[in-house]
Amino acid sequence: MTAATPAIETRGLSKTFGHTEALAPLDLVIPRGSVFALVGHNGAGKTTLIKLLLNILQPTHGSATVLGESSAALTGESFTHIGYVSENQEFPEWMTVQAMMNYLRPFYPTWNIGDLLADLDLPPDRKVKQLSRGMRMKVALASVLAFRPPLIVMDEPFSGLDPLVRDELIKALLDRMNDEYEANPDSGATILISSHDLAEVESFATHVAFLHQGKLLFAESMATLIARFREVTVTLDPSARSTSFTPPTTWLLPESTASVYCFIHSNAEAENVEQQVESLLPHVIAIQSEPMTLRTIFLALAKSSQAKDWSRA
Amino acid sequence: MTVRCTSCISTRVLPFRLTFRPGVPISDQVVYAATRAIVAGQLQPGEAFPSVRTLSRDLKINPNTAHKVITQLLNDGLLESRPGIGTVVALLPHSTATQRTNLLGPQIEELVVEAKRLSIDLDGITSAISRHWKRLTTPPTGGSK
Repeated sequence: MTAATPAIETRGLSKTFGHTEALAPLDLVIPRGSVFALVGHNGAGKTTLIKLLLNILQPTHGSATVLGESSAALTGESFTHIGYVSENQEFPEWMTVQAMMNYLRPFYPTWNIGDLLADLDLPPDRKVKQLSRGMRMKVALASVLAFRPPLIVMDEPFSGLDPLVRDELIKALLDRMNDEYEANPDSGATILISSHDLAEVESFATHVAFLHQGKLLFAESMATLIARFREVTVTLDPSARSTSFTPPTTWLLPESTASVYCFIHSNAEAENVEQQVESLLPHVIAIQSEPMTLRTIFLALAKSSQAKDWSRA
Repeated sequence: MTVRCTSCISTRVLPFRLTFRPGVPISDQVVYAATRAIVAGQLQPGEAFPSVRTLSRDLKINPNTAHKVITQLLNDGLLESRPGIGTVVALLPHSTATQRTNLLGPQIEELVVEAKRLSIDLDGITSAISRHWKRLTTPPTGGSK
């Protein structure tokens, strides 16, 4: 496997439960070394996708490769290279944190826990069943970071955690990334994180994919996404007669009043927004084009995909 | 459920403060914040600049982004790397006339456009500039530490 091989690649991957399509056929490439944020509302298909990738669920159609191996062929041995942290992880409740780590160590040839427990402020002598939700997530993360897998998959690691614990988890993760970065700047560890709240991961994610009702709305690098979307407000001369026109497909959620026309431009980097607006709308007084937070980008995309579905129905 | 914006990270650990704004690449924002701290004298020449790891940890940014920031600041001549010590703040470089034009041309144009849009006259804009200039002028050395 070369550095150019993506960490994860899916081709037409889909999953149907009974009559419900949990995941529509999905083509996705997760580059090596990326911190890939998988974002979507609850029930969007994030967990299903992750379980398909890790051979916990079997796809209805399509296939996926994970670190060059077919996901359907992943076995116990493969999981010495893949770390999986899930919000619904089961733990050996009766063990102390230290005992659990001792228990896990022989499974992983690369195990090296170092000061992780102390760094994460975890009490080694406390039994797992006595731990709070935040502590349990820290245990889960420590048990993954300890064997330094080239791929870490995290399913909603931060949900329901208080900001302090979340901060500790993110710092531990970033420390791991920094170690990897220092050892090998060109191909660091790949991290796939699902979250329903992008604000949690947007400062260190390199790529982001958005799932909505089982469909992938987009997957791209953070930099292009940020450059692509602009909230455009056009002030029009209210005394002028408005003419009807068909907005370009790159304009999402157009709304208008007598003197204002607003929309979200989804390709502002490549297209000349001002020229476009002036050629389509009459009597333009001012054009304001504002960068958007990722949150508002997602809301806009989700809304516009809903609008499209309704118009088709 | 508590909802807190983790994208607005404000830190005092680093020698400069920064709250991320939407729609602007993070590396550009950090470069700007560092440049601002250097020109304003919050970071003095010879002072150590945070490592990739510190930047990454404290600002919760990707190590690649942190690396990009330091490379950019080195290229801009605001930092220099000293073998055995690390990256330190450089003496502010004397720029050439062309450099100055290249660097400031677009910004000045933007300022003029904004000023005209808001019908601010030339006097208004020059006094606003001098206020900001004074605010960011390096205090006499030895004052901060």
